[in-house]
Amino acid sequence: MSWKLVLALALVAGPARVVAQSGNGTTRLAGRVPAAALPAIDSLITAAAAESLPTEPLVQKALEGGAKHIPADRLVNGVRRGLLQLRQARAIVSRAVPGQSPAKNDVAAVAAALARGLSDPIVERLITVAPTEPPGPALHAVADLVAHHFDPDSAADLLVEAHNKGLRGVRLLDVAVAADHELQRPGGCTTAEALARVRAMLPNVRSVAGRP
Amino acid sequence: MSPLDPRLQEALDGERDPGELPVDLREAYALLAAATQVLKAMPPVSVASRVMTEIRQNPARAHSEGRARRLIRWLGEGRAVTVRLRPVWTLALAAGLAAVLLLPWSMGGPTPGVAEGIANFVGHFPGARSVEVVGSFNDWSRGVLHLSDDDGDGIWHAKAVLPAGQHEYMFVVDGERWVSDPLAGRYVDDGFGAGQQNSLLIVRPVSAQP
Repeated sequence: MSWKLVLALALVAGPARVVAQSGNGTTRLAGRVPAAALPAIDSLITAAAAESLPTEPLVQKALEGGAKHIPADRLVNGVRRGLLQLRQARAIVSRAVPGQSPAKNDVAAVAAALARGLSDPIVERLITVAPTEPPGPALHAVADLVAHHFDPDSAADLLVEAHNKGLRGVRLLDVAVAADHELQRPGGCTTAEALARVRAMLPNVRSVAGRP
Repeated sequence: MSPLDPRLQEALDGERDPGELPVDLREAYALLAAATQVLKAMPPVSVASRVMTEIRQNPARAHSEGRARRLIRWLGEGRAVTVRLRPVWTLALAAGLAAVLLLPWSMGGPTPGVAEGIANFVGHFPGARSVEVVGSFNDWSRGVLHLSDDDGDGIWHAKAVLPAGQHEYMFVVDGERWVSDPLAGRYVDDGFGAGQQNSLLIVRPVSAQP
């Protein structure tokens, strides 16, 4: 084998090996997380990749833990918890949209909703209503309402109705904002009354610019 | 202006006897010859001396007006201004002017793409020496996005173009204190077991912003 061929193979194989390593994002963790945590985190991320789960949320969780100087054991637990939520999310998406391989973005969005405290049935219901839509906005809208003490099922009902009346994408976030505004109005009202008022104005809820 | 009759011109130049001119041209010749004599009798007057003569003839206007009135009159009068520039300085001036005109667009406001949006970060941290925002949009890296408080009122702010979608973040005050954004409105447990809450930001793409 001539030296030119060896050089050419080295030039091709070197970057390929780096890409393979960085495909899961683990190379981004070197120097950013405690060395003691790195093997376990790498193992978790590799497992996620092997299961066709999105790995970026786990990489981000590890980077976050490193930036916050979280001790190694707690950091690994945080990443492991993220992996469990991704698995749970994929199971929900698979049930809601059977016969299709779940999109990684959808799985990540559902995992984020689970992290915000939404229950499996509510998440599954919202995905089932709009199986071709990115689920993130509707899930966040319901999570916003739940965070403001609205009943989860009633909040999901409102979002389903908003979808049925033509609202899509980030406009669904405006539904939650509108309900919260109704709740804050002088004179006061119950959460049920606030939801009823927003339901009556659908689909003409006010659009919120910038940070909703 | 009507052209001067060539015969009259020749007579004025001494090339023709004025007595040979027709009667009407002879009268014109007489007038022009008289005018020429008058002009020859006057001493040459420079521009400067004419200006000074004008000033001396109007001393009251030059000295009795207030400074403000003179300034207004000076500003209102037309003046010819001649600027001599070498080409190299002209080019430098043009480049400087272009930079002044273009820089506000490139520095004053970030321009988001279709799948991006603008995030405004605001926090009230009176007495803080530094505030930065660290989150999933910058790989939780320190030293990337600093908030500023130019007027020292304790309200720190920063603007950034971010990819549309969900981002978790926290403020880092004085380089060591991690603080949730009290204005975020959305929070999520960070999952590390200490009950710390990340702020949650959902960036709308510019196409979805009214």
